[in-house]
Amino acid sequence: MRVSKSDSMREVKDLVRQEKYGEALATLKAIAAPEDHFPLQHQYAMAYSSIPRDPKDLSPIKLAVAANSTVDHFVELLNFWLGLEGFQAEIYTAPFNTMDQSVLDPSSELYRFDPEIVWLFSSYRDLDDTVMPGSEEEPLKQWVQSNVDRFAGLWQAVKSHSSAYIIQNNADFPLPRPFGNFEVSAPWSRRNLLSRFNLGLAAILAPGVTLFDMEYLAAYYGKQHWTDEAYWHYSKHAFNLNATGLVAHQGARLIGAIKGKAKKCIIVDLDNTLWGGVIGDDGLEGLQLGSGSDGEAFVAFQHYLLELKNRGIILAVCSKNEEATAKLPFQNHPHMIIKEQDIAIFVANWQNKADNIRHIAETLRIGLDAIVFVDDSPYERGLVRMELPMVEVPELPDDPSLFVRTLDRLRCFETTGYSAEDSRRNELYRTDALRMGAAKQVTDIDSFLKSLEMEAVAGPLGPLQIPRFTQLINKSNQFHLTTIRYTESQIMALAEDEKNLCFYFILRDKFGDNGLISAVIMRENDKAELYIDSWVMSCRVLSRGMEQFIHNFISREARQKGYMRMRGKYIRTQKNNLVADLYDRLGFEKLVETESESDWLYEIEDSNPHPNVHIAQVDSD
Amino acid sequence: MAQGRDQIMARLSNVFRDVFDDDDLQLNEKMTTADVKGWDSLMHITLLVAIEAEFGIRIKPGEAGELSDVGELADLIARRS
Repeated sequence: MRVSKSDSMREVKDLVRQEKYGEALATLKAIAAPEDHFPLQHQYAMAYSSIPRDPKDLSPIKLAVAANSTVDHFVELLNFWLGLEGFQAEIYTAPFNTMDQSVLDPSSELYRFDPEIVWLFSSYRDLDDTVMPGSEEEPLKQWVQSNVDRFAGLWQAVKSHSSAYIIQNNADFPLPRPFGNFEVSAPWSRRNLLSRFNLGLAAILAPGVTLFDMEYLAAYYGKQHWTDEAYWHYSKHAFNLNATGLVAHQGARLIGAIKGKAKKCIIVDLDNTLWGGVIGDDGLEGLQLGSGSDGEAFVAFQHYLLELKNRGIILAVCSKNEEATAKLPFQNHPHMIIKEQDIAIFVANWQNKADNIRHIAETLRIGLDAIVFVDDSPYERGLVRMELPMVEVPELPDDPSLFVRTLDRLRCFETTGYSAEDSRRNELYRTDALRMGAAKQVTDIDSFLKSLEMEAVAGPLGPLQIPRFTQLINKSNQFHLTTIRYTESQIMALAEDEKNLCFYFILRDKFGDNGLISAVIMRENDKAELYIDSWVMSCRVLSRGMEQFIHNFISREARQKGYMRMRGKYIRTQKNNLVADLYDRLGFEKLVETESESDWLYEIEDSNPHPNVHIAQVDSD
Repeated sequence: MAQGRDQIMARLSNVFRDVFDDDDLQLNEKMTTADVKGWDSLMHITLLVAIEAEFGIRIKPGEAGELSDVGELADLIARRS
């Protein structure tokens, strides 16, 4: 295995020499695994840095890492894994052993660097190592409190000296146990104190901070190997250098989620992926599902997919089958865990899967880079990788009992929060399909929109809406006029400033509640003029008059505050062509237009600019 | 498993080439940190971990810090493998 990866690395280097950069990058992506040992990871990082990349394909990010341990090797790999995640990273490493000082000193180099994200890269070794065998509860509580307070203080400092988002490591538990197995029973043991410290951090978590689970990674890697005393004593590396890739990969995925790059949808094949056997050949009775070790493995995989679906990942099916045959197990097999109503889009036909996946992405109105495709067939995986390189296609092992861990170790569905919208997402996409069905029956669009009985809640952004508002700003690519991203703490600061108007919009109709689907941020240019800094909307509610409703609403609000004009800007990206003519359609006047952007002006009138909107404004709930 | 000095030096050369990303690097026993571009304390650690992986041995980082040239490094590897 190792030999073959070394050989593949020579191939990558040859491709770079021949300036075949696209192939070099694809090969590098295919061989690099988070678990690979450090020397290989170091080669990946060096090879990666020799491949020139088009800045258009990458999002810039400025990250500061502050630690009391040696993190240089980690930072080298983090830069590489962030690159694979689609980032052009600029990473500042605070001097060794200055985590607290760098963060507490407002004039430190760390703040001059002006990071978007500050990563407090701590380990259990950073904590006060007092153990109090046999202690009463009170001193233990104080120990936990004082250690948690220290980090709460650091977060507070980062927030007051910058608008950076914070990633905070929790404490990994050390290998040795002076009291042996009894440590798990004693409330005063080192292990249990650290456990309470970790829970304490989670309990005080505020918007703009997320925890990084070092303890999970230590356990995942194997604690006896994670701990590397020699390199702690020699060079102050807090964990085994060979686990560095694993930590960097997880970190890059988490940063991806913070910046809206997490995957949104999983598309699964059916035969030999959701069940064993081929439904068209083997029939219902012939499937391996429910009994036998393979049958149980497929059930376990379905349980895992259902958990993903229930937390808000869109589940879709893409299978080469007759549709009626493909649906048989969903309707009649007693051991199917996933039901038809769990699937947002069900595609079963004989067309090529790349086309089908494109169709699913268009129907769901999500980007191809938000999709994970799971298929047991190497042919289909190869085809999709070649045709749609932005789709994530994991290698699937032959043994179905390994499917769950194969998918889970990709860490592609990272998130920093969980909202009511998340749990209902699949239902939202399904009801969309119902609406599309209804639209087909009605030829007159006005009567169709009327028949939807739409109601909207609109208002100034408050603390309750901040998580979802931020999520929407960061996840939207298509209906996003400027593609500006903000962290939760930046949004809070924007909302608090009286010179800004921030509005959220919720839309409901007779088929269900669509949730918070649009966010608008306007800044004051001068006493008479507002600038629309950001306007995002969920593509699920396009073409229903919501854009016009929002334009009406913000014009009214602006007028009430005495503003006479609104300026808007459209900045072209590879994904937001959808809104290139939005301001034109709404009646803005075009001022300037270049290839990459256009400026627009709207003189606010007394009456609603768009009287024919079939959405009624209602008070919240 | 005993291996010849040439064999160790050949494998060590490959490790150096990979670590320092220099396929033209010619390793000899008299070389020191000053003779290899980029051989600083951080790269030294990368090098040690790469040697451990290549030869399947464990080297105490402290003892490797006391070596004066590549020849002594090869001696250490020979003793351990």
